[in-house]
Amino acid sequence: MDPQTAAFDRIRAVAVPAVLVVVAALLGAGLWRVPEAVPAAQPVPAWAIDPTPIRRPVLKPEYEVAGFSMRCSDCHDLFPSPVETDRPLTQHTEIVLKHGINTRCFNCHHPTRRDFLVDDRGGEIPFDQPPLLCARCHGPTYRDWLHGAHGRTDGFWNKQMGPQEHRKCVECHDPHEPPFPPMPPAAGPNTLRMGEQGAPHEPEAVHNPLRIYQQGAGREPVAGAVAGEDAHE
Amino acid sequence: MSDTDPGSESPRLTRRGFLRKGAAAAAGGAAVAAALSPLRDLAPDDIPTIERLFQKHYKEMTPADKERIFARIEREVKARHGVKTRLTDPPPLDGVEYVYALNISRCIGCRKCVHACVAENNTARAPEIQYIRVLQMPKGSQNVESSDHHYDPPVVPQPDSYYMPVQCHQCAKPPCVKVCPTEATWQEPDGITVVDYDWCIGCRYCEAACPYWARRFNFTEPEVPEGSLNPDMSYLSNRPRRKGVVEKCTYCLHRTRRGRMPACVEVCPTGSRKFGNVLDPESEVAYILRHKRIFVFKEDVGTVPRFFYYFDERGSRYHEPIAPVQPGADA
Repeated sequence: MDPQTAAFDRIRAVAVPAVLVVVAALLGAGLWRVPEAVPAAQPVPAWAIDPTPIRRPVLKPEYEVAGFSMRCSDCHDLFPSPVETDRPLTQHTEIVLKHGINTRCFNCHHPTRRDFLVDDRGGEIPFDQPPLLCARCHGPTYRDWLHGAHGRTDGFWNKQMGPQEHRKCVECHDPHEPPFPPMPPAAGPNTLRMGEQGAPHEPEAVHNPLRIYQQGAGREPVAGAVAGEDAHE
Repeated sequence: MSDTDPGSESPRLTRRGFLRKGAAAAAGGAAVAAALSPLRDLAPDDIPTIERLFQKHYKEMTPADKERIFARIEREVKARHGVKTRLTDPPPLDGVEYVYALNISRCIGCRKCVHACVAENNTARAPEIQYIRVLQMPKGSQNVESSDHHYDPPVVPQPDSYYMPVQCHQCAKPPCVKVCPTEATWQEPDGITVVDYDWCIGCRYCEAACPYWARRFNFTEPEVPEGSLNPDMSYLSNRPRRKGVVEKCTYCLHRTRRGRMPACVEVCPTGSRKFGNVLDPESEVAYILRHKRIFVFKEDVGTVPRFFYYFDERGSRYHEPIAPVQPGADA
């Protein structure tokens, strides 16, 4: 055996176990770890789980003037408003009426008895019963609301076990601008089954079954692999 | 070179041989230690006790068994989450069969239901487990495969889309129950399919069998942030799960069996979600099933869901600004 091979043997006899010992020590001490595949939890904003209705109307004929809460009749008994025309409002200018073709105040508000709303025959509807007013035009929706097929039902499903409350029209809809207001959506899914963690959404790749696999391999989704994108039945 | 060293007691023991064998033994020992190192991450309650190993199936528990087992689970939850909880087991109500109805004309896709559900049911925040998926689809289509559950526009609803939340349909013929090899999941008399998390072996057959993608698997130890554990919990619904078990929506049975609404119904800002007893002809869901236009999602798979989608005569017009009629203007 020549001296070179012998020296090599000797080095190897020490080096191989030494490397093994170092690797094992690193593993054992937990210094060498596979990075966590699971991202930290993102806190959910409080509004996303808040069950209160979007509006809390007073359901009374009240109006705020300079910090004072007045009944509508407090002023309107003294100052009858002029006959309705299409001129711009001089009072109540903060009210912007965006109610479709319903562009007249006195379609809903009583023209003379201002603490009331008005029904089809010129009679009075109290402010705390707005569904009666809305029912004049929105019959099918009113019918659904009466039976609980439209609108929120809060409280208990079982009325024997606890109170139940049907939310009234104006607790979701602003009568002067009735469409339900758009809102920002709460955070989307970031789950293991629903795509790569934290990946920006790629609409064209949603239904590529190999998407997660390809992204995992650090590759972009293959353009031709997207199937059935215009299969809207 | 010779292996014998003159003067030594044993001709077989040389310095080189000693070093070589000693190093190999040290490396071997260290490798074994390294292989066992994950054991250091075990919490004391990860090691199964005799009591837990021989726990009876939920349906075979006597009231005394339940009291003992629930007390033990309460202790485990206290040890793991530091929260004193009350584990209950509300029984199904007589003459009640739960049905869910969801108005897709009114759903705006805000996802509040998703997060209320997570908070109520103590599902894992990391990795996220969510029972509800809200699908965004173009109006005039219903292609689930091209639907989008990652949508994130500045506001919802988007004018050209509608939103269809999907969750467990509590089927009357549940395929997930049929495939379970350990009978860890079954249908209760009120129609809710539940899981005994202590009997689930994590085979995920049920997850594969479900046509609604309603079951979720805990790939890791579920992480619920400190202070956000919902202490109102029941054995069959929202008690904390462990790694390696399947879970699913239970219509919040710890709430609904006490007459309350599920969390997703309570939080829905639009009132699109309806819940009740279909056997009560006066209930909202019974009215909806009789009078509204209903469809059953994936009706063709024949699982007879207790979850119905309905819609209005005319869709909500939230996206169509109606130009006011200008007085004096000719049509």
